[in-house]
Amino acid sequence: MKKTLGGFLLVAGLLIAGRTVIAHHAFGAEFDPNAPIRLQGKVVRLEWVNPHTWIHVEIVKDGKPEIWMVEGGTPNTLLRRGITKDTVAVGTEVIVDGYQTKDHSLKRANGRDVTFADGRKLFMGSSGTGAPRDGSDPTEGGTKPAPKKPGGR
Amino acid sequence: MRSRNLLIGSALAVLGATSLAAQAPASAPRAAGAATGQARPNGVKPAAARTADGKPDLQGVWTNATITPLERPQNIKELVLSEEAAARMEKAVIDRRDRLNEPSDPNRTAPPQGGDGSTGAAGNVGGYNNFWLDPGDRVAVVDGQRRSSLIIDPPDGRLPPLTQEARTRQAARAKAAAGRGQYDNPEYRPLAERCLLSFGPTTPLVPNYFYNNNLQIVQTPDHVMILMEMVHDARIVRIGGTHVPKHIRPWMGDSIGHWEGDTLVVDTTNFPPQQNFRGSSENLHVVERFRRADATTINYRFTVDDPTTFTAAFTGEIPFRAMNELNYEYACHEGNYALANVLSGARNEEKRLGTKQEK
Repeated sequence: MKKTLGGFLLVAGLLIAGRTVIAHHAFGAEFDPNAPIRLQGKVVRLEWVNPHTWIHVEIVKDGKPEIWMVEGGTPNTLLRRGITKDTVAVGTEVIVDGYQTKDHSLKRANGRDVTFADGRKLFMGSSGTGAPRDGSDPTEGGTKPAPKKPGGR
Repeated sequence: MRSRNLLIGSALAVLGATSLAAQAPASAPRAAGAATGQARPNGVKPAAARTADGKPDLQGVWTNATITPLERPQNIKELVLSEEAAARMEKAVIDRRDRLNEPSDPNRTAPPQGGDGSTGAAGNVGGYNNFWLDPGDRVAVVDGQRRSSLIIDPPDGRLPPLTQEARTRQAARAKAAAGRGQYDNPEYRPLAERCLLSFGPTTPLVPNYFYNNNLQIVQTPDHVMILMEMVHDARIVRIGGTHVPKHIRPWMGDSIGHWEGDTLVVDTTNFPPQQNFRGSSENLHVVERFRRADATTINYRFTVDDPTTFTAAFTGEIPFRAMNELNYEYACHEGNYALANVLSGARNEEKRLGTKQEK
């Protein structure tokens, strides 16, 4: 651990210095820090749209169904990895934790962490060129390949 | 980890194979075009290729994603990193991503009441999963040098200090903004939130360090178009001629270009007051230089000058790397629930507090 600390600090400096922009919109303006939520239910619809994806999840509360909309990121990055709105089947059980919109009349929340029911992330992260790390480029970084495009090579 | 990747890959194959075959772009081997000199699916030609009118061919889809920041971190002195230092940085980015890919506790509870302490765009509510992001995982390499900052001049790799005039202007803007509710009107919201322009600058072409750092260049003898994936910002550069009159202020400024040997030089002025780069004013003047470096790279150099904002001009360099992918549509208005959520959230808070919110 000690051995890598210097490198870590160097990298942390680079990362922090690089993160001075704002995202498409400030999540703090949209969601209420005093309204934390945990949802567990089935995906009923995916809106694979920009600027942000919305995953619709049906939960059961007090014996009655409720549909919540969960905000994610841009679909373009996932599309580039071959992941489309059809990748997650309707009916898939997911767990979401996040915060409800400041407008409490809306059943909407940010998808702070969206996973399958067993805790696995809904998708796997990739980075870099916009293309999947499939091992065909020896100069690309990393030790673990991203999920291959379904139906691809 | 490996088994999980395989598991997910298999699941994806089962769930999505049919539709993906129709929707996903062809996944050709990434280095094929570069190795064979054949045209690539992204339109990038070999380094020595010329357009019909004999100019270097800059066309195709490129990415400027990199982990090298605009400004050099204070703890790094040199512009050029050693191979080992660059490898450490890239590994740290990959390791972090792999860590964030790890499963969560399925028995986790809701996040903390009062916010999760996150800062920046995540604004105390935590944003969204890392898997949506695509910020790059490589250090910028220009002319064989691994770079610690995109800025190469001033030599410390840092933005020059702001002028007194700029500081006064910023204070006045902040005071004006404080005097009105920032959520009172959609036009008070940032341009990116309204899907008008990207949250990264359109000029110069600096990466946003989040995602979709991709751009397409199209050339004709008279014009060059630079289409950015984020918020489909399309810059149109006229070749030759002079700038439009000062009172004409297009959204992304007025760009004119000319060729100096094999380098395309683009001069941009006439920025509107709504646009700024690191606090710049309408006097912002940006000169960009595009030069094919090799089969898969454009060397992009930019110089920013605004004497009413910065105490000196500054220059940076960014490698644009050929992508074997296409730009995707970014139909921002299509799903922009966020703007309405932000405004209706403010109305909800006003009702709850029984007062107009002043922030």
